[in-house]
Amino acid sequence: MSTSISHNFIRSFSSTSSVARTGYSTVHPVHHLVKVKKNALKPSFQEFLIPRDDIRAVGYKPKEIDQDRLMDYYHNTLQSDLMLNMYKHDSKKILGSKLRSWGNDSPFKLYRELKKPKGSLNQTRDINPITFKNIPQLESISIQIYNKDALENPWLNISSRLLLSQITNVKAKQISAKANILPWKLRRGKACGAKVELTGLDMSQFITTLVEIVLPRIRTFQGIRLTSGDKNGNITLGLDPEDVKHFPEVEAFQELFPNLDGLHITLKTNARTDERARTLLSSLGFPFYKPRRNS
Amino acid sequence: MFKGSIPVNGSSRIISNVINVFTRGKRTKATNVVNASTQKIVNQLSALSASRKQPKLIRLCQEDLIKHQTIMNAWRVVQRRNEQKRNNQLKKQYQSIVNAMEDLKTSHPALYKFANYKPKDGTRFPLDLRMPTDFPPNKPWVYDYVPAETNEKRAKQ
Repeated sequence: MSTSISHNFIRSFSSTSSVARTGYSTVHPVHHLVKVKKNALKPSFQEFLIPRDDIRAVGYKPKEIDQDRLMDYYHNTLQSDLMLNMYKHDSKKILGSKLRSWGNDSPFKLYRELKKPKGSLNQTRDINPITFKNIPQLESISIQIYNKDALENPWLNISSRLLLSQITNVKAKQISAKANILPWKLRRGKACGAKVELTGLDMSQFITTLVEIVLPRIRTFQGIRLTSGDKNGNITLGLDPEDVKHFPEVEAFQELFPNLDGLHITLKTNARTDERARTLLSSLGFPFYKPRRNS
Repeated sequence: MFKGSIPVNGSSRIISNVINVFTRGKRTKATNVVNASTQKIVNQLSALSASRKQPKLIRLCQEDLIKHQTIMNAWRVVQRRNEQKRNNQLKKQYQSIVNAMEDLKTSHPALYKFANYKPKDGTRFPLDLRMPTDFPPNKPWVYDYVPAETNEKRAKQ
């Protein structure tokens, strides 16, 4: 039989500590270490805890203020057409390249870090056949301005932020340089442009303006390049400073925007391939063209 | 010679007689004046900033709040019903596409192959397809429409 310890056993390195134990703890109590922001619990701050979509909240902004023409058009007309257009009978799921196992013939391979996917460094997505559940849809638009001149004169960035905010109806965020590159005069943290992410009504409004007003008035515009796209259904187009002039917000107040900047517009869709995304965008009124090899 | 040309009495004398009374704390220079280009940037910044643009917090009484919440709940119900209706419709359409293709596959294999062909680059919708507008034209659809290219070709012929 195993011998039992007569007194209360306390795990410790020294044999004496269990014997000479008093009611005193050398471990610091936790409640002094964990900081509690008690001032945030003040009753006058209660209204800041209300979620933003509640009308009582401080930052409440009504969302559905207008008819969304583009989304109505999409749901009433385009969605079923797109489904019919993209449906392929007897099509199977196309598996993307994933991380591979090393095999299980050796215990060393069991917990080894998985092998890189075939043909690419990163994993690629599976492509599902189109059903009524996964009809491609426009998710968001991200627009970016890179202002090189703002690196030397920081006040120039204000006008590009204002330009983007005026065009899109969303307050633009400031972009700052991420690296120190001397010949480009880049310095980490310096402001060098603006960006916005559009969703919902703002997105629809921007698409409408772009397709109906801006793009038709650009003389040299042929369409979006067929080479554009990130293979995941996000398609990018660029606008020159001269093209930005055609936005009605800029055109009406030309003297307020002496320095115009070009835009990088990325149309993000939930189509998993570029081909599907192009079909979707063509249904919204974007033309496409195949660029020549020489140009 | 010059005595006559210099006005002895007149406005210059009056100006020189103005006494500058010094008052403590009184601003003598307009310090806040900035040049036009700086003012332009300041204006741009103030257009960007959120101050004085956000409306005041709406303080609803209990009755109004309940009214508002009831309306919003009802609106959400309507939205959800519409979405369900749309999805059901799509589901039915999808099922009929599948049935039709299955039927075609057995009845007419050559036609099925043609119907199931998808070009590699995907297809494009025609640019003539446009979003409906709030103010449509008086003549909404041109029934005897001929594309511009074919018109030119015809003229050449």
